Amino acid sequence: MSTVLQTIVEKKHYRFIDGEGVTWQEAVRLSAEPLVADGSVDEDYYKQIVACVEKYGPYVVFEHNVAMPHTQENASGAHKTGIGFMVSEKMIDFGEDEDGEKKEANLFFTLSSTNPDEHMSNIQQLSEIFVNDALLDALAAARTPEDILEAEKNHPCEEGF
Amino acid sequence: MAKLDGKKLLACCANGAGSSLMMENAIKKVMNKYGIKPAELRHCPVSEGKTASRSYDVVFCARTFAKTFEGVEKNGTILIPLKNVMSAQEIEAALKDAELLD
Repeated sequence: MSTVLQTIVEKKHYRFIDGEGVTWQEAVRLSAEPLVADGSVDEDYYKQIVACVEKYGPYVVFEHNVAMPHTQENASGAHKTGIGFMVSEKMIDFGEDEDGEKKEANLFFTLSSTNPDEHMSNIQQLSEIFVNDALLDALAAARTPEDILEAEKNHPCEEGF
Repeated sequence: MAKLDGKKLLACCANGAGSSLMMENAIKKVMNKYGIKPAELRHCPVSEGKTASRSYDVVFCARTFAKTFEGVEKNGTILIPLKNVMSAQEIEAALKDAELLD
């Protein structure tokens, strides 16, 4: 079975941007574009994610500058389960969280979910990736799809804890 | 007998689809490490969790949502707000602080 990163490469669900002057709203839209391209989500899908972050704050930005923009399962405009992966060379500013801590991201894993089993598997794998600092550093430095696969090969996730 | 054996645990996030699922997975890891068998472990959106929390022993959420659950202690529910929702280490430490783990 393919890993989430292999699937991202196979389905061309990736995107690399410079990020200079890009707002977080725009970044969310850009990260969802590869999902729009093959009909996984509608063009307006990203707006629900933006609305959610505006409502609850930047809780979708985790440690190590990783963002996982998402909405609820079976959101309108979501047609397939998938992950829109994006690397931004510049940090994208998400403002401050409830503690006044600055939140910024250069890695995006934008989720769409319609199939609970696939989604569960994606989330499980992402949980492992998000605590694998060496892999996250390598992914942040990735500029091509080959770099993504190389990063995973060099820093595999182990069942840890 | 571990203190969380037979207890009902709930993980909440905004949508009940992303970070709460990650929390549930991280909580599972901690439970497995200690050989604890909760009666129930599930995740749901904050909107549902607020009402549902009454029938749970422990509710986990991202710190952003802690204020939503203000007052649940009155019903005997323990609230565990987390900074990093997928950190099994943080969950382990928080449960120890709350004296729910030995």
